[in-house]
Amino acid sequence: MISKEDLEHLAQISRINLTENELEKFPTQLEKTIEYIDILEQIASDDSVTLDLHELEFEELRKDEIRISDEKQLGKNITEDGFLRGPKMK
Amino acid sequence: MSQVMIGLEIHAQITALNSKLFCSCRGNYRDLRPNSNICEICCGLPGSLPIINQKAIEYSTMTSLALGCKVPDKIMFYRKNYFYPDLPKNFQITQYNVYGISSMGIDGKYELDGIKQIKISRIQLEEDPGRIAYSEDGMNVRNTALIDYNRAGVALIEIVTEPDFTGPKEVRQFLNKLSLTLEHLGVCDTLLEGSVRCDVNVSMNGGNKVEIKNINSFKEVEKAINYEITRQSSVYGRNLKIEHETRHWDDKKKITFKARSKEEEHDYRYFPEPDIPVIVLGNDFVANLKQRMPELPNERFERFKSKYELSDHTSNILINDKKLADFFESTLKLHFSPVEIANILVTEFKSLIDDDAESRDYLKNLKVKPEHIAELVKLIEGNKISRTTAKDILVKIFESGKLPTEVVNSSNSYKIADEKTLMDAVQSVFDSEKSAVEDAKNNREAINFLLGKVMKFTNGRADAKIAMRLINSKLAEH
Amino acid sequence: MTKLDDLLAYEVVEGLTEGQFTAEDYVTTIIKRIERVEPKVHSFITLDTDGALSSARIIDKKIKEREDVGQLAGVTIGIKDNISTQGIRTTCASKILENYVPTFDATVIRSLKVNGAILLGKLNLDEFGMGSTTEYSRYQPTRNPWNLDCVPGGSSGGSGAAVAAGECTIALGSDTGGSIRCPSSFCSVIGLKPTYGRVSRYGLISYANSLEQIGPICRSVRDLVMMLNIISGKDALDNTSMSSTPISIPSRINKLNVGIIRELITDCDQEVAKLIYSASEKVKEIGCSCEEVSIKNLHYALPSYYTLASAEASSNLARYDNIRYGFDYPIGEYKWDTYFSNVRENFGEEVKRRILIGSYVLSSGYYGKYYLKARRLRSLLKLELLELFKKYDLLIGPTMPILPFKFGEKIDDPIKMYLVDINTVIANLAGIPAISLPVGFSNGLPVGMQIMAAPFEEQKLIDASYELEKVINIPRRPNSI
Repeated sequence: MISKEDLEHLAQISRINLTENELEKFPTQLEKTIEYIDILEQIASDDSVTLDLHELEFEELRKDEIRISDEKQLGKNITEDGFLRGPKMK
Repeated sequence: MSQVMIGLEIHAQITALNSKLFCSCRGNYRDLRPNSNICEICCGLPGSLPIINQKAIEYSTMTSLALGCKVPDKIMFYRKNYFYPDLPKNFQITQYNVYGISSMGIDGKYELDGIKQIKISRIQLEEDPGRIAYSEDGMNVRNTALIDYNRAGVALIEIVTEPDFTGPKEVRQFLNKLSLTLEHLGVCDTLLEGSVRCDVNVSMNGGNKVEIKNINSFKEVEKAINYEITRQSSVYGRNLKIEHETRHWDDKKKITFKARSKEEEHDYRYFPEPDIPVIVLGNDFVANLKQRMPELPNERFERFKSKYELSDHTSNILINDKKLADFFESTLKLHFSPVEIANILVTEFKSLIDDDAESRDYLKNLKVKPEHIAELVKLIEGNKISRTTAKDILVKIFESGKLPTEVVNSSNSYKIADEKTLMDAVQSVFDSEKSAVEDAKNNREAINFLLGKVMKFTNGRADAKIAMRLINSKLAEH
Repeated sequence: MTKLDDLLAYEVVEGLTEGQFTAEDYVTTIIKRIERVEPKVHSFITLDTDGALSSARIIDKKIKEREDVGQLAGVTIGIKDNISTQGIRTTCASKILENYVPTFDATVIRSLKVNGAILLGKLNLDEFGMGSTTEYSRYQPTRNPWNLDCVPGGSSGGSGAAVAAGECTIALGSDTGGSIRCPSSFCSVIGLKPTYGRVSRYGLISYANSLEQIGPICRSVRDLVMMLNIISGKDALDNTSMSSTPISIPSRINKLNVGIIRELITDCDQEVAKLIYSASEKVKEIGCSCEEVSIKNLHYALPSYYTLASAEASSNLARYDNIRYGFDYPIGEYKWDTYFSNVRENFGEEVKRRILIGSYVLSSGYYGKYYLKARRLRSLLKLELLELFKKYDLLIGPTMPILPFKFGEKIDDPIKMYLVDINTVIANLAGIPAISLPVGFSNGLPVGMQIMAAPFEEQKLIDASYELEKVINIPRRPNSI
C-alpha cells in the first residue's frame, strides 16, 4: 500500500515536487508497480550476491598522472572569483 | 569515576597522489583559483564516468596493512546517495560493508605503545566533496552558497576504530602515532591544511553515543573530547539523559553544539557502483606490496636499535621526527658513525632546528646538509677538534652553510695537541688559580676545574687528554 | 541509379570514393528529404544542416586531394539525444537539460567523426531513455513512418523512425531494456544492442548504467558491421568497457544451432507469431537447425529489470539540480533543498515514477526484498542462458510481443507499457548481444525478429542476419513517406 504520506516521503528523499495531478494518480500507479515486482520474493535468497559485472585486474587501472582539463565545465552563475553561485543554505 | 568510551572516524586525504580518485585533475587543490581544478568527471557532468586511480588502491592497501588489517582479494565501491550542493553527482562513491566486504581493509589492530591495542574496524577509500564558502565570513548559513569543486573527487582514506579509547590522552597518542605512520608510508601529510578530519563518538557510563563532527585538525580533537566529557558529565550530574545525537565542534568558541536534526536521519540507499567493476587484487598483491612498502615507524625503531646500537631514548627522538631520521641515515651513508652522528643530531642540531621555525618546516631551507655533519664528526673522531668546539662550529655552519673544515680553518679552531703550547696554557692557569692548585692535590673535582680553565684559556681547543696528563704531571711536581 | 537518400551506408562510401556523386549532393538530398518528411515524422530534436553541409564540403575536398576520409566517409548519421555531442545541445528530451551543451564528445562520437561520418542532428527519445514509444519525450512524439498514427517504438524512437524514413542513412541509439530493438522492430529497420562492455558508454547520459549500451540502427547488415566495428573498443574513459574482436561480413556461414524461445512465441500476438514462425523457416533455409527451447526464469525478468533500472535511475538522475547546468530557472531566494525539489518537478511523469520506485527499492528496509533479489535473478538468468548457449549458437523470438500500436493506447497504464519490453529485457539483464531484424508486415505494420547470442558472439549474430537478409525480402522504405 502506498499512502499519500509514503508518496510524499519518497518525493522528499528524491527531491522531486509532484503536481496535484501526480499526487492524485501516483499512489495507485506506484502501488501497481510494486505489486508487480513483488514476484521477486519467490526468488531464493542467497547471502552472497553473485556479481554479474565483469572484473578489472589491478594492472589495468589508471596510472596516477595529471591531465589538466581546459574546457570550461561550469557555464553559468560564476562569480568574479570563480565560485559557482548556489542557492541559500538556510 | 565514569566510564568513557571513545571511537574515532578519521578521514585522511591521500596527499601523496598526483591526481584525484576518479579523474586526472590535480590531487592538490590548495591555493588554486576556485573551480579551476575540475573536469567533466569530478563535476559529474552528464555522460561522465569515474576512472579509479591505481595508486590510490596501493596507498590505501598499505595503510590497511600498517594498521594490521586483513585485505580482501576483491574490492568494490558503493554509492552513498544524498543531496547537497557540494556533491556534484548528489551521491558519493565510497565503500560499504553491510552486504558484503567492499573495504580496503577490516579487523585491524594498532598498538598504543605497550598500553593497549586499538581495534580498527575498517579502512575505506572514498571521494571528497567540494567546498562551500559563504558570501560572508563564518558558517552563517542564511547566505548564498559559493561553491568550489576543486576539492571534489580528491581521494580520502577513512579509518574507523572501535570505541576502545578511554580518554583524550590515548586518542592524542593514537593520532600522533597514526600521523607518523601516515608520514612514513608517504600517504598523507597531516600538516597540510585540510588534509585530515576527525569525527569522534563519545559515550559515558554506558549511555548513548554522541557523535562530534567538524573537527578539522588532530590538535582540536583532544579539546573537543575534553569539552564533551565535561558536558556529558554535567548532564549526568543533573540526573538527565544524554540523547543519541550529532554535534558539531566550533573551533572558535571551543564548544560542541547540536547539529540540525535533519542532518542526522539519513537513509543513504547504498548500492554497488555500476560504473566500477569489481577490482581483483590478486594473490600476490599483498605480498608484493609488503615488500615494497616504506618502513613503518616501529620497524625503523627496532632497526636503529639493533643495527646502529642507538639507545631507546635517541632512537625515539629520531623516529618521532621522520625528516630528522632521514637526515641521519643520509649522513650515515657518507660516514658510518651512528652513535656519534645521532648524538649531535638529537642534541645540538635538533635544538637549533627547533629554535628556527623556518628550518623546522621541512628542513627545506636548511643550509646544513648531511655532508656537513659527516665532516664534523670526522673532525671530532680524528681528534682535530674537541666536542666543545664542535658545538660552536655547528652554529656557524647553520648560519653560513660553509663546510666545517673551512670554518675551523678560518676561525683557527683546531685542537691544540702540541705539548709545548699546552704546557704554556697549563702554566698560565696554574699561575692564576693558586688556591685551586692547592685543592687539586687532594680533590679530584678541583683537577677538573683546572682542566676547564685550560679549555677556556685555549678557547676550547686544548686536547683534553693531553692537557689532563700535563696537569697531572705538573701537580705531581709540586 | 538509386536515389541518393535511399543509398545504404556502404553504397554511399563506395559512391563517394569512386566519385559517382559528391558528399554535398548526397547531404543536400537528405536535407531535402528531411524537409519533406520531418513535419510528419518528427524524428529530430536538433538539426544541424549547416554543420552537415560544411562537413560534406570538407569530405569532398579531401576526396579530391586523395586524402584518407575514413570508413564512414560522408555518411549521414543521426544521434539519439542522450549521447553527448560537443557544442551541440543534448537534452535527453527533458526540460531539465533544455539548455545543456556538452563540453566533450562521447567516445563513440569521436570514433564516428574520425571515420568521416557526418552528424546531421540529435534524435528524439523518451525522456532520459525511459519508455517504449517516444511518447514520453517532452517534445512532440515521433511518428512511425509506416503508419503515422502509430508509435515508432522507444526509447530510441527518433533513431528508428529517421532511418526508416530516410532522414539519415544510419543512426545511433541506446538500449537499456530494448530501446534500440523496439523501435527497430516497429520501424522495420535493423538494430543491435551489443554485448555489455563492447561499446564505450563514456558520453552516454546514464539511465541504468549496468544495463545499457550504445548501438547502431541502420538498413543493412553490412552497414551494421561497419558501424559496430567503428564504435566498439575498450576505452580508458569507461572502466566497464572491454576489448573485442572486429566483426567481418561472412563469406559463408557454418551451420548454426538455433533455439526458438517457447515462452516468447506463445505469449505474443497471433500475427506476430505467424511472421516469426515463417522467419524461423527461413532460418532453416539458410542451413541452421531450429528447435524450441524454454527459459525457466523468464517471468522474473521484467520485474527484475524494472527494479534494477529504477534503482540505478534514481541515483543517476540525482545530479540534475540545475546549479551546474540545465535550464533556465533562477535561483532567487530559494533554500537549496526547496530549489532542488522545484527544479526536479520539471521531470516528466514517467521519469518521476521510476525515480520514486528506485528510491523505494533502495530504501534500507526494502533493499533485500527487491534489489538484492533482482540482482540474484540477474545472475540466475545469465547462468541459464550461458547453459543454453553451450548447446545453441543463437536464440530467437519476436522482438516485440505486439504490433506497433496507436498513440495513447498504453500511456495511461504504466504496467501495460512495461509489459511491452518483456522480450527485450533478457539481453540487458544478461549482458548478451541481441539484434532485431525486420521479418515482415501485418496489415502494413512491421514485425521484427530478435536474435540473441552469447557474450561477445556478435559474429554469429551477423552471420545469421546477413544470410537471412538475403532470403527475407521486405520493402526497405515506406512508400507513403
